[in-house]
Amino acid sequence: MNKKKTLSNIWFYFRVILLCVVLLFPFVIMVSISLKTTAETIGFPPTIIPRSWTLVHFRDIFNPRIFPFLQYFKNSLYIALVVSVVAVFLGVLGGYALSRLRFRGRNAMNEMFFLVYMFSGILLIVPLYKMLVTVGMRNTREAVIACMIVQTLPTAIYMTRSYFDTIPKELEEAGRVDGLSRMGTIFRIIVPLSVSSLVSVFVYAFMIAWNDVLFASIFIDSSELLTIPIGLNSLFNTPDYIWGRMMAASLITSLPVVVMYAFSQKLIRAGQIEGGIKG
Amino acid sequence: MKTKKRRKGDASFAYALLSPSLLLMTLLIGYPMIYNIVISFQKVPLNPRLGSEFIGLKNYLSVFRDPTFYHSVLITLLFTMTVTILSTVLGLAVAVFLNREFVGKKLVNGIIILSYVVPSVCLIFSWRYMFNSIYGIVNYVVVDLLHITKEVPLWFDRPVSAFVLVTIFCLWRFFPYAYMSFNAILTSIDKTLYEAADLDGASPWESFMAVTFPAIKPTLVTVVSLRTIWVFYIYTEVYLLTKQVDVLGVYLYDMAFATHDFGKAAAISIVLFALIFALVLFIRRKVLVVEDE
Repeated sequence: MNKKKTLSNIWFYFRVILLCVVLLFPFVIMVSISLKTTAETIGFPPTIIPRSWTLVHFRDIFNPRIFPFLQYFKNSLYIALVVSVVAVFLGVLGGYALSRLRFRGRNAMNEMFFLVYMFSGILLIVPLYKMLVTVGMRNTREAVIACMIVQTLPTAIYMTRSYFDTIPKELEEAGRVDGLSRMGTIFRIIVPLSVSSLVSVFVYAFMIAWNDVLFASIFIDSSELLTIPIGLNSLFNTPDYIWGRMMAASLITSLPVVVMYAFSQKLIRAGQIEGGIKG
Repeated sequence: MKTKKRRKGDASFAYALLSPSLLLMTLLIGYPMIYNIVISFQKVPLNPRLGSEFIGLKNYLSVFRDPTFYHSVLITLLFTMTVTILSTVLGLAVAVFLNREFVGKKLVNGIIILSYVVPSVCLIFSWRYMFNSIYGIVNYVVVDLLHITKEVPLWFDRPVSAFVLVTIFCLWRFFPYAYMSFNAILTSIDKTLYEAADLDGASPWESFMAVTFPAIKPTLVTVVSLRTIWVFYIYTEVYLLTKQVDVLGVYLYDMAFATHDFGKAAAISIVLFALIFALVLFIRRKVLVVEDE
Protein backbone atom coordinates (compact mmCIF):
# COMPACT_ATOMS: atom_id res chain seq x y z
CA MET A 1 0.00 0.00 0.00
CA ASN A 2 2.70 2.45 1.02
CA LYS A 3 4.87 1.49 -1.91
CA LYS A 4 1.98 2.05 -4.25
CA LYS A 5 1.49 5.50 -2.77
CA THR A 6 5.16 6.38 -3.23
CA LEU A 7 5.01 5.23 -6.83
CA SER A 8 1.93 7.27 -7.57
CA ASN A 9 3.60 10.26 -5.93
CA ILE A 10 6.65 9.87 -8.15
CA TRP A 11 4.40 9.59 -11.19
CA PHE A 12 2.55 12.74 -10.11
CA TYR A 13 5.75 14.74 -9.64
CA PHE A 14 7.11 13.43 -12.92
CA ARG A 15 4.10 14.86 -14.74
CA VAL A 16 4.26 18.14 -12.81
CA ILE A 17 7.91 18.58 -13.76
CA LEU A 18 7.16 17.69 -17.38
CA LEU A 19 4.42 20.33 -17.45
CA CYS A 20 6.78 22.94 -16.00
CA VAL A 21 9.54 22.10 -18.46
CA VAL A 22 7.20 22.50 -21.43
CA LEU A 23 5.75 25.77 -20.12
CA LEU A 24 9.15 27.19 -19.28
CA PHE A 25 10.91 26.17 -22.45
CA PRO A 26 10.49 29.50 -24.31
CA PHE A 27 11.83 31.29 -21.23
CA VAL A 28 14.81 28.97 -21.09
CA ILE A 29 15.52 29.84 -24.72
CA MET A 30 15.21 33.53 -23.88
CA VAL A 31 17.72 33.30 -21.04
CA SER A 32 20.06 31.07 -23.03
CA ILE A 33 20.21 33.40 -26.03
CA SER A 34 20.72 36.48 -23.91
CA LEU A 35 23.88 34.81 -22.56
CA LYS A 36 25.26 33.57 -25.90
CA THR A 37 27.60 35.21 -28.32
CA THR A 38 25.96 36.48 -31.49
CA ALA A 39 27.77 33.89 -33.60
CA GLU A 40 26.39 31.10 -31.47
CA THR A 41 22.80 32.38 -31.57
CA ILE A 42 22.67 31.95 -35.32
CA GLY A 43 24.85 28.86 -35.43
CA PHE A 44 23.65 25.39 -36.32
CA PRO A 45 22.81 23.07 -34.67
CA PRO A 46 21.19 25.20 -31.96
CA THR A 47 22.34 24.79 -28.37
CA ILE A 48 20.38 25.28 -25.18
CA ILE A 49 23.29 25.66 -22.80
CA PRO A 50 25.67 28.27 -24.24
CA ARG A 51 29.12 26.99 -25.21
CA SER A 52 30.64 30.31 -24.27
CA TRP A 53 28.91 32.59 -21.81
CA THR A 54 28.79 36.35 -22.15
CA LEU A 55 27.08 39.25 -20.43
CA VAL A 56 27.85 41.61 -23.29
CA HIS A 57 24.19 41.90 -24.38
CA PHE A 58 23.08 43.03 -20.94
CA ARG A 59 25.79 45.66 -21.00
CA ASP A 60 24.95 46.73 -24.55
CA ILE A 61 21.25 47.32 -23.99
CA PHE A 62 22.05 49.84 -21.27
CA ASN A 63 24.40 51.74 -23.53
CA PRO A 64 22.27 54.47 -25.12
CA ARG A 65 24.75 55.02 -27.91
CA ILE A 66 24.18 51.59 -29.43
CA PHE A 67 20.73 50.60 -28.18
CA PRO A 68 17.80 52.90 -27.31
CA PHE A 69 16.40 50.56 -24.64
CA LEU A 70 16.70 53.03 -21.76
CA GLN A 71 14.73 55.62 -23.70
CA TYR A 72 11.96 53.10 -24.38
CA PHE A 73 12.05 52.02 -20.77
CA LYS A 74 11.58 55.60 -19.60
CA ASN A 75 8.58 56.11 -21.90
CA SER A 76 6.94 52.86 -20.88
CA LEU A 77 7.53 53.60 -17.22
CA TYR A 78 6.04 57.08 -17.52
CA ILE A 79 2.93 55.78 -19.27
CA ALA A 80 2.43 52.80 -16.98
CA LEU A 81 2.97 54.80 -13.78
CA VAL A 82 0.56 57.57 -14.69
CA VAL A 83 -2.06 55.06 -15.85
CA SER A 84 -1.86 52.95 -12.72
CA VAL A 85 -1.83 55.87 -10.27
CA VAL A 86 -4.89 57.40 -11.95
CA ALA A 87 -6.63 54.01 -12.16
CA VAL A 88 -6.09 53.38 -8.45
CA PHE A 89 -7.26 56.88 -7.49
CA LEU A 90 -10.39 56.80 -9.64
CA GLY A 91 -10.90 53.18 -8.60
CA VAL A 92 -11.03 54.22 -4.93
CA LEU A 93 -13.56 56.97 -5.61
CA GLY A 94 -15.75 54.95 -7.97
CA GLY A 95 -15.47 51.74 -5.98
CA TYR A 96 -16.51 53.52 -2.81
CA ALA A 97 -19.56 55.05 -4.47
CA LEU A 98 -20.70 51.73 -5.91
CA SER A 99 -19.98 49.78 -2.74
CA ARG A 100 -21.34 52.09 -0.07
CA LEU A 101 -23.78 54.59 -1.49
CA ARG A 102 -27.32 54.07 -2.70
CA PHE A 103 -28.21 56.24 -5.64
CA ARG A 104 -30.19 56.22 -8.82
CA GLY A 105 -28.53 54.49 -11.74
CA ARG A 106 -26.25 52.40 -9.53
CA ASN A 107 -27.15 49.11 -11.21
CA ALA A 108 -27.00 50.67 -14.65
CA MET A 109 -23.52 51.88 -13.84
CA ASN A 110 -22.40 48.46 -12.66
CA GLU A 111 -23.64 46.96 -15.91
CA MET A 112 -22.03 49.66 -17.96
CA PHE A 113 -18.64 49.05 -16.34
CA PHE A 114 -18.94 45.35 -17.07
CA LEU A 115 -19.88 46.05 -20.68
CA VAL A 116 -16.88 48.30 -21.15
CA TYR A 117 -14.73 45.59 -19.58
CA MET A 118 -15.82 43.21 -22.33
CA PHE A 119 -15.88 45.55 -25.32
CA SER A 120 -12.96 47.78 -25.80
CA GLY A 121 -9.52 47.77 -27.32
CA ILE A 122 -9.45 47.56 -31.06
CA LEU A 123 -13.13 48.31 -31.63
CA LEU A 124 -12.70 52.03 -31.05
CA ILE A 125 -9.30 52.70 -32.61
CA VAL A 126 -10.67 54.64 -35.57
CA PRO A 127 -12.74 57.25 -33.69
CA LEU A 128 -10.19 57.50 -30.86
CA TYR A 129 -7.42 58.13 -33.34
CA LYS A 130 -9.40 60.77 -35.21
CA MET A 131 -10.53 62.51 -32.02
CA LEU A 132 -7.16 62.66 -30.31
CA VAL A 133 -5.39 63.73 -33.49
CA THR A 134 -7.92 66.52 -33.94
CA VAL A 135 -7.16 67.89 -30.47
CA GLY A 136 -3.46 67.81 -31.26
CA MET A 137 -2.46 64.70 -29.31
CA ARG A 138 -0.88 62.90 -32.21
CA ASN A 139 2.53 61.52 -31.32
CA THR A 140 2.15 62.13 -27.59
CA ARG A 141 2.46 59.70 -24.72
CA GLU A 142 -0.55 61.36 -23.14
CA ALA A 143 -2.83 60.02 -25.91
CA VAL A 144 -1.73 56.50 -24.98
CA ILE A 145 -2.20 57.30 -21.29
CA ALA A 146 -5.74 58.54 -21.84
CA CYS A 147 -6.72 55.41 -23.76
CA MET A 148 -5.07 53.07 -21.26
CA ILE A 149 -6.78 54.73 -18.28
CA VAL A 150 -10.17 54.14 -19.84
CA GLN A 151 -9.19 50.57 -20.68
CA THR A 152 -8.23 49.76 -17.10
CA LEU A 153 -10.81 51.84 -15.25
CA PRO A 154 -13.76 49.41 -15.30
CA THR A 155 -11.68 46.60 -13.80
CA ALA A 156 -10.08 48.97 -11.31
CA ILE A 157 -13.48 50.11 -10.08
CA TYR A 158 -14.81 46.57 -10.04
CA MET A 159 -11.85 45.31 -8.02
CA THR A 160 -11.97 48.09 -5.44
CA ARG A 161 -15.73 47.83 -5.12
CA SER A 162 -15.54 44.08 -4.44
CA TYR A 163 -12.93 44.68 -1.79
CA PHE A 164 -14.73 47.58 -0.13
CA ASP A 165 -17.80 45.35 0.15
CA THR A 166 -15.86 43.18 2.60
CA ILE A 167 -14.97 46.07 4.94
CA PRO A 168 -17.44 46.39 7.85
CA LYS A 169 -19.49 49.58 7.78
CA GLU A 170 -19.10 50.07 11.54
CA LEU A 171 -15.48 51.09 11.09
CA GLU A 172 -16.55 54.01 8.95
CA GLU A 173 -19.26 55.09 11.32
CA ALA A 174 -16.71 55.19 14.12
CA GLY A 175 -14.61 57.50 12.00
CA ARG A 176 -17.58 59.75 11.27
CA VAL A 177 -18.33 59.99 14.96
CA ASP A 178 -14.74 61.09 15.47
CA GLY A 179 -15.45 63.99 13.15
CA LEU A 180 -13.93 62.83 9.87
CA SER A 181 -15.46 64.18 6.68
CA ARG A 182 -16.76 61.80 4.03
CA MET A 183 -13.59 62.16 1.99
CA GLY A 184 -11.68 61.76 5.24
CA THR A 185 -13.30 58.39 5.97
CA ILE A 186 -12.40 57.18 2.50
CA PHE A 187 -8.75 58.14 2.68
CA ARG A 188 -8.13 57.71 6.42
CA ILE A 189 -10.14 54.55 7.07
CA ILE A 190 -11.04 52.69 3.89
CA VAL A 191 -7.83 53.15 1.95
CA PRO A 192 -5.42 52.04 4.70
CA LEU A 193 -7.54 48.91 5.16
CA SER A 194 -7.41 48.10 1.45
CA VAL A 195 -3.70 48.36 0.73
CA SER A 196 -3.39 44.80 -0.58
CA SER A 197 -6.30 45.22 -2.97
CA LEU A 198 -5.15 48.66 -4.12
CA VAL A 199 -1.70 47.25 -4.81
CA SER A 200 -3.25 44.61 -7.03
CA VAL A 201 -5.28 47.25 -8.86
CA PHE A 202 -2.07 49.17 -9.37
CA VAL A 203 -0.26 46.08 -10.63
CA TYR A 204 -3.14 45.17 -12.93
CA ALA A 205 -3.22 48.62 -14.54
CA PHE A 206 0.56 48.78 -14.71
CA MET A 207 0.72 45.44 -16.51
CA ILE A 208 -1.94 46.36 -19.03
CA ALA A 209 -0.20 49.65 -19.82
CA TRP A 210 3.26 48.08 -19.83
CA ASN A 211 2.09 45.41 -22.30
CA ASP A 212 0.22 47.73 -24.61
CA VAL A 213 1.12 47.49 -28.27
CA LEU A 214 -2.07 48.66 -29.94
CA PHE A 215 -2.47 52.24 -28.70
CA ALA A 216 1.24 53.01 -28.65
CA SER A 217 1.55 51.84 -32.24
CA ILE A 218 -1.36 54.02 -33.34
CA PHE A 219 -0.36 57.23 -31.62
CA ILE A 220 3.41 57.26 -31.41
CA ASP A 221 5.62 57.81 -34.45
CA SER A 222 8.82 59.48 -33.34
CA SER A 223 11.56 57.18 -32.13
CA GLU A 224 12.29 59.08 -28.93
CA LEU A 225 8.72 58.51 -27.68
CA LEU A 226 8.45 54.79 -28.48
CA THR A 227 7.53 52.43 -25.65
CA ILE A 228 9.35 49.15 -25.06
CA PRO A 229 6.95 46.84 -26.92
CA ILE A 230 6.73 48.86 -30.12
CA GLY A 231 10.29 50.09 -29.87
CA LEU A 232 11.76 46.62 -29.62
CA ASN A 233 9.45 45.38 -32.31
CA SER A 234 10.47 48.17 -34.66
CA LEU A 235 14.12 47.26 -34.10
CA PHE A 236 13.24 43.68 -34.80
CA ASN A 237 12.02 44.57 -38.25
CA THR A 238 15.33 46.11 -39.21
CA PRO A 239 17.84 43.72 -40.76
CA ASP A 240 20.59 44.28 -38.20
CA TYR A 241 18.83 43.23 -35.01
CA ILE A 242 20.89 41.19 -32.63
CA TRP A 243 19.15 38.25 -30.99
CA GLY A 244 21.09 38.44 -27.75
CA ARG A 245 20.17 42.09 -27.22
CA MET A 246 16.50 41.46 -27.99
CA MET A 247 16.35 38.63 -25.47
CA ALA A 248 18.28 40.55 -22.82
CA ALA A 249 15.92 43.48 -23.33
CA SER A 250 12.92 41.13 -23.13
CA LEU A 251 14.12 39.72 -19.83
CA ILE A 252 14.69 43.17 -18.34
CA THR A 253 11.26 44.23 -19.62
CA SER A 254 9.58 41.25 -18.00
CA LEU A 255 11.30 41.73 -14.68
CA PRO A 256 9.23 44.63 -13.27
CA VAL A 257 5.86 43.05 -14.02
CA VAL A 258 6.88 39.61 -12.77
CA VAL A 259 8.26 41.04 -9.52
CA MET A 260 5.23 43.30 -9.03
CA TYR A 261 2.83 40.47 -9.74
CA ALA A 262 4.57 38.13 -7.30
CA PHE A 263 4.56 40.87 -4.66
CA SER A 264 0.85 41.61 -5.10
CA GLN A 265 0.02 37.89 -4.87
CA LYS A 266 1.89 37.74 -1.57
CA LEU A 267 -0.15 40.65 -0.24
CA ILE A 268 -3.44 39.25 -1.48
CA ARG A 269 -2.97 35.81 -0.03
CA ALA A 270 -4.42 36.94 3.31
CA GLY A 271 -7.63 38.39 1.90
CA GLN A 272 -8.27 36.59 -1.37
CA ILE A 273 -10.07 38.78 -3.87
CA GLU A 274 -11.94 37.43 -6.80
CA GLY A 275 -11.27 37.56 -10.48
CA GLY A 276 -8.23 37.38 -12.67
CA ILE A 277 -6.67 39.93 -14.89
CA LYS A 278 -7.73 40.84 -18.34
CA GLY A 279 -5.50 39.79 -21.14
CA MET B 1 -30.48 67.18 11.46
CA LYS B 2 -27.26 65.82 10.15
CA THR B 3 -28.38 62.17 9.97
CA LYS B 4 -31.38 63.05 7.84
CA LYS B 5 -29.29 65.06 5.47
CA ARG B 6 -26.76 62.26 5.04
CA ARG B 7 -29.21 59.98 3.27
CA LYS B 8 -30.16 62.68 0.85
CA GLY B 9 -26.52 63.58 0.31
CA ASP B 10 -25.67 60.00 -0.58
CA ALA B 11 -26.65 60.36 -4.19
CA SER B 12 -24.91 63.65 -4.84
CA PHE B 13 -21.76 62.42 -3.09
CA ALA B 14 -21.85 59.26 -5.21
CA TYR B 15 -22.19 61.26 -8.41
CA ALA B 16 -19.34 63.50 -7.33
CA LEU B 17 -17.11 60.50 -6.69
CA LEU B 18 -18.02 58.87 -9.97
CA SER B 19 -17.94 62.01 -12.08
CA PRO B 20 -14.26 61.91 -13.13
CA SER B 21 -14.59 58.27 -14.21
CA LEU B 22 -17.87 58.91 -15.97
CA LEU B 23 -16.49 61.97 -17.71
CA LEU B 24 -13.49 60.01 -18.98
CA MET B 25 -15.63 57.10 -20.11
CA THR B 26 -18.12 59.34 -21.84
CA LEU B 27 -15.31 61.18 -23.62
CA LEU B 28 -13.24 58.16 -24.57
CA ILE B 29 -15.80 55.36 -24.91
CA GLY B 30 -19.32 56.74 -25.19
CA TYR B 31 -18.58 59.53 -27.61
CA PRO B 32 -16.23 57.42 -29.80
CA MET B 33 -18.90 54.74 -30.05
CA ILE B 34 -21.32 57.23 -31.60
CA TYR B 35 -18.61 58.94 -33.61
CA ASN B 36 -17.62 55.51 -34.96
CA ILE B 37 -21.12 55.05 -36.36
CA VAL B 38 -20.92 58.48 -37.98
CA ILE B 39 -17.52 57.71 -39.55
CA SER B 40 -18.82 54.43 -40.90
CA PHE B 41 -21.19 56.42 -43.15
CA GLN B 42 -18.46 58.76 -44.36
CA LYS B 43 -15.67 58.88 -46.85
CA VAL B 44 -12.72 60.14 -44.83
CA PRO B 45 -10.00 61.85 -46.87
CA LEU B 46 -6.36 61.26 -45.95
CA ASN B 47 -5.77 64.96 -45.38
CA PRO B 48 -7.35 65.75 -42.00
CA ARG B 49 -8.02 69.34 -43.06
CA LEU B 50 -10.47 68.24 -45.72
CA GLY B 51 -13.94 67.47 -44.48
CA SER B 52 -15.50 64.03 -44.55
CA GLU B 53 -18.29 63.33 -46.97
CA PHE B 54 -21.49 61.42 -46.22
CA ILE B 55 -21.71 58.40 -48.51
CA GLY B 56 -24.53 56.38 -46.96
CA LEU B 57 -24.04 52.65 -46.83
CA LYS B 58 -21.15 52.52 -49.28
CA ASN B 59 -18.59 51.53 -46.64
CA TYR B 60 -20.77 48.66 -45.48
CA LEU B 61 -21.38 47.54 -49.05
CA SER B 62 -17.67 47.66 -49.66
CA VAL B 63 -17.09 45.47 -46.59
CA PHE B 64 -19.74 42.97 -47.61
CA ARG B 65 -18.40 42.80 -51.18
CA ASP B 66 -14.84 42.23 -50.00
CA PRO B 67 -13.86 38.54 -50.22
CA THR B 68 -11.07 39.22 -47.69
CA PHE B 69 -13.75 40.10 -45.16
CA TYR B 70 -15.47 36.71 -45.42
CA HIS B 71 -12.16 34.93 -45.31
CA SER B 72 -11.31 36.94 -42.23
CA VAL B 73 -14.62 36.11 -40.54
CA LEU B 74 -14.09 32.39 -41.14
CA ILE B 75 -10.52 32.48 -39.86
CA THR B 76 -11.62 34.46 -36.82
CA LEU B 77 -14.46 32.07 -35.97
CA LEU B 78 -12.21 29.06 -36.36
CA PHE B 79 -9.43 30.69 -34.38
CA THR B 80 -11.74 31.89 -31.60
CA MET B 81 -13.36 28.48 -31.19
CA THR B 82 -10.07 26.62 -31.20
CA VAL B 83 -8.27 28.91 -28.78
CA THR B 84 -11.24 29.32 -26.42
CA ILE B 85 -12.01 25.62 -26.19
CA LEU B 86 -8.41 24.46 -25.95
CA SER B 87 -7.31 27.09 -23.45
CA THR B 88 -10.35 26.48 -21.23
CA VAL B 89 -9.98 22.71 -21.34
CA LEU B 90 -6.26 22.88 -20.69
CA GLY B 91 -6.73 25.35 -17.84
CA LEU B 92 -9.39 23.15 -16.28
CA ALA B 93 -7.38 19.97 -16.79
CA VAL B 94 -4.29 21.44 -15.17
CA ALA B 95 -6.37 22.86 -12.31
CA VAL B 96 -7.97 19.46 -11.66
CA PHE B 97 -4.62 17.71 -11.99
CA LEU B 98 -2.96 20.03 -9.44
CA ASN B 99 -5.95 20.19 -7.10
CA ARG B 100 -4.21 18.65 -4.08
CA GLU B 101 -1.67 19.65 -1.53
CA PHE B 102 1.92 19.04 -2.59
CA VAL B 103 5.35 20.42 -1.95
CA GLY B 104 6.22 23.20 -4.39
CA LYS B 105 2.66 24.05 -5.39
CA LYS B 106 3.29 27.79 -5.10
CA LEU B 107 6.31 27.50 -7.38
CA VAL B 108 4.34 25.52 -9.95
CA ASN B 109 1.56 28.12 -9.81
CA GLY B 110 4.11 30.83 -10.45
CA ILE B 111 5.55 28.95 -13.42
CA ILE B 112 2.09 28.46 -14.92
CA ILE B 113 1.17 32.13 -14.57
CA LEU B 114 4.45 33.39 -16.02
CA SER B 115 3.37 33.26 -19.68
CA TYR B 116 0.28 35.28 -18.76
CA VAL B 117 2.16 38.02 -16.93
CA VAL B 118 5.15 38.63 -19.18
CA PRO B 119 4.56 41.18 -21.98
CA SER B 120 3.56 39.50 -25.22
CA VAL B 121 6.35 41.13 -27.22
CA CYS B 122 8.97 39.42 -25.07
CA LEU B 123 7.30 36.04 -25.49
CA ILE B 124 7.01 36.54 -29.21
CA PHE B 125 10.73 37.20 -29.67
CA SER B 126 11.45 33.85 -28.10
CA TRP B 127 8.92 32.12 -30.36
CA ARG B 128 10.29 33.80 -33.45
CA TYR B 129 13.67 32.46 -32.52
CA MET B 130 12.51 28.92 -31.69
CA PHE B 131 10.58 28.61 -34.94
CA ASN B 132 13.16 30.31 -37.13
CA SER B 133 13.49 28.32 -40.34
CA ILE B 134 17.28 28.46 -40.49
CA TYR B 135 18.62 28.04 -36.97
CA GLY B 136 15.47 27.53 -34.88
CA ILE B 137 15.43 24.70 -32.40
CA VAL B 138 12.00 23.46 -33.42
CA ASN B 139 13.00 22.75 -36.99
CA TYR B 140 16.24 21.23 -35.76
CA VAL B 141 14.26 18.75 -33.67
CA VAL B 142 11.52 18.14 -36.24
CA VAL B 143 13.73 17.84 -39.33
CA ASP B 144 17.25 16.92 -38.26
CA LEU B 145 16.65 14.83 -35.16
CA LEU B 146 13.27 13.18 -35.63
CA HIS B 147 13.14 13.30 -39.45
CA ILE B 148 9.39 13.92 -39.37
CA THR B 149 9.49 15.99 -42.55
CA LYS B 150 12.19 16.40 -45.16
CA GLU B 151 11.15 19.91 -45.99
CA VAL B 152 11.90 22.67 -43.55
CA PRO B 153 8.55 24.16 -42.45
CA LEU B 154 8.40 27.94 -42.84
CA TRP B 155 6.25 28.40 -39.76
CA PHE B 156 5.49 32.10 -40.12
CA ASP B 157 4.99 32.31 -43.86
CA ARG B 158 2.40 29.67 -44.68
CA PRO B 159 -1.23 30.24 -43.72
CA VAL B 160 -1.83 26.82 -42.19
CA SER B 161 1.40 26.49 -40.22
CA ALA B 162 1.11 30.12 -39.11
CA PHE B 163 -2.41 29.41 -37.88
CA VAL B 164 -1.18 26.39 -35.91
CA LEU B 165 1.69 28.41 -34.50
CA VAL B 166 -0.50 31.31 -33.36
CA THR B 167 -2.99 28.86 -31.85
CA ILE B 168 -0.31 27.12 -29.79
CA PHE B 169 1.09 30.47 -28.74
CA CYS B 170 -2.29 31.77 -27.61
CA LEU B 171 -3.03 28.52 -25.83
CA TRP B 172 0.18 28.89 -23.86
CA ARG B 173 -0.49 32.57 -23.22
CA PHE B 174 -4.16 32.36 -22.25
CA PHE B 175 -4.70 29.03 -20.45
CA PRO B 176 -3.30 30.42 -17.17
CA TYR B 177 -6.34 32.69 -16.96
CA ALA B 178 -8.67 29.68 -17.06
CA TYR B 179 -6.35 27.81 -14.71
CA MET B 180 -6.42 30.60 -12.11
CA SER B 181 -10.19 30.95 -12.31
CA PHE B 182 -10.82 27.21 -11.90
CA ASN B 183 -8.10 26.81 -9.31
CA ALA B 184 -9.83 29.31 -7.02
CA ILE B 185 -13.14 27.44 -7.30
CA LEU B 186 -11.73 23.92 -7.00
CA THR B 187 -9.98 24.65 -3.72
CA SER B 188 -13.32 25.75 -2.29
CA ILE B 189 -15.07 22.45 -3.06
CA ASP B 190 -15.71 20.37 0.04
CA LYS B 191 -13.34 17.37 -0.16
CA THR B 192 -15.83 15.12 1.63
CA LEU B 193 -18.05 15.25 -1.47
CA TYR B 194 -15.33 13.42 -3.40
CA GLU B 195 -14.98 10.89 -0.61
CA ALA B 196 -18.71 10.29 -0.70
CA ALA B 197 -18.63 9.82 -4.47
CA ASP B 198 -15.69 7.47 -4.01
CA LEU B 199 -17.64 5.39 -1.48
CA ASP B 200 -20.53 5.19 -3.91
CA GLY B 201 -18.14 3.59 -6.38
CA ALA B 202 -18.01 6.52 -8.79
CA SER B 203 -15.25 6.56 -11.41
CA PRO B 204 -13.02 9.67 -11.56
CA TRP B 205 -15.04 10.90 -14.55
CA GLU B 206 -18.35 10.29 -12.76
CA SER B 207 -17.22 12.13 -9.67
CA PHE B 208 -15.98 14.97 -11.88
CA MET B 209 -19.42 15.24 -13.49
CA ALA B 210 -21.29 14.87 -10.20
CA VAL B 211 -19.16 17.02 -7.89
CA THR B 212 -16.72 19.21 -9.82
CA PHE B 213 -18.78 20.22 -12.82
CA PRO B 214 -21.77 21.73 -11.00
CA ALA B 215 -19.40 23.72 -8.79
CA ILE B 216 -17.36 25.15 -11.64
CA LYS B 217 -20.21 25.79 -14.05
CA PRO B 218 -20.68 29.51 -13.34
CA THR B 219 -16.93 30.05 -13.63
CA LEU B 220 -16.91 28.06 -16.85
CA VAL B 221 -19.59 30.31 -18.34
CA THR B 222 -17.62 33.43 -17.41
CA VAL B 223 -14.28 32.10 -18.61
CA VAL B 224 -15.68 30.90 -21.94
CA SER B 225 -17.65 34.10 -22.60
CA LEU B 226 -14.81 36.45 -21.78
CA ARG B 227 -12.20 34.43 -23.63
CA THR B 228 -14.46 34.22 -26.69
CA ILE B 229 -14.84 37.99 -26.77
CA TRP B 230 -11.18 38.70 -26.18
CA VAL B 231 -9.96 36.23 -28.80
CA PHE B 232 -12.59 37.41 -31.25
CA TYR B 233 -11.08 40.88 -31.46
CA ILE B 234 -7.51 39.81 -30.78
CA TYR B 235 -4.87 41.89 -32.49
CA THR B 236 -1.52 42.13 -30.72
CA GLU B 237 -0.47 38.49 -30.41
CA VAL B 238 -1.47 37.56 -33.94
CA TYR B 239 -0.05 40.65 -35.58
CA LEU B 240 3.30 40.41 -33.85
CA LEU B 241 3.73 36.74 -34.62
CA THR B 242 2.78 36.45 -38.28
CA LYS B 243 1.32 38.30 -41.24
CA GLN B 244 -0.42 35.18 -42.50
CA VAL B 245 -3.37 34.93 -40.11
CA ASP B 246 -5.68 37.80 -40.98
CA VAL B 247 -8.20 37.71 -38.14
CA LEU B 248 -10.75 40.52 -37.99
CA GLY B 249 -8.67 42.58 -35.57
CA VAL B 250 -5.75 42.58 -37.98
CA TYR B 251 -8.05 43.22 -40.96
CA LEU B 252 -9.55 46.20 -39.15
CA TYR B 253 -6.19 47.59 -38.06
CA ASP B 254 -4.70 47.29 -41.53
CA MET B 255 -7.75 48.90 -43.11
CA ALA B 256 -7.35 51.90 -40.81
CA PHE B 257 -3.58 52.27 -40.60
CA ALA B 258 -2.17 50.56 -43.70
CA THR B 259 -4.87 51.20 -46.32
CA HIS B 260 -5.93 54.42 -44.51
CA ASP B 261 -9.61 53.86 -45.28
CA PHE B 262 -11.11 55.08 -41.99
CA GLY B 263 -14.69 54.91 -43.21
CA LYS B 264 -14.42 51.26 -44.15
CA ALA B 265 -12.45 50.48 -40.98
CA ALA B 266 -15.22 52.05 -38.90
CA ALA B 267 -17.78 49.96 -40.76
CA ILE B 268 -15.71 46.83 -40.05
CA SER B 269 -15.57 47.63 -36.35
CA ILE B 270 -19.36 48.06 -36.23
CA VAL B 271 -19.80 44.69 -37.94
CA LEU B 272 -17.24 43.18 -35.57
CA PHE B 273 -19.10 44.61 -32.60
CA ALA B 274 -22.39 43.15 -33.86
CA LEU B 275 -20.76 39.75 -34.44
CA ILE B 276 -19.27 39.66 -30.94
CA PHE B 277 -22.59 40.63 -29.45
CA ALA B 278 -24.40 37.88 -31.35
CA LEU B 279 -21.73 35.38 -30.38
CA VAL B 280 -22.01 36.19 -26.69
CA LEU B 281 -25.79 35.89 -26.78
CA PHE B 282 -25.45 32.56 -28.58
CA ILE B 283 -22.98 31.24 -26.01
CA ARG B 284 -25.12 32.34 -23.09
CA ARG B 285 -28.33 30.90 -24.51
CA LYS B 286 -27.34 27.77 -26.38
CA VAL B 287 -23.95 26.38 -25.50
CA LEU B 288 -23.92 27.02 -21.79
CA VAL B 289 -27.38 27.16 -20.35
CA VAL B 290 -27.18 29.56 -17.45
CA GLU B 291 -29.51 28.66 -14.65
CA ASP B 292 -31.40 31.43 -12.96
CA GLU B 293 -29.91 32.25 -9.62
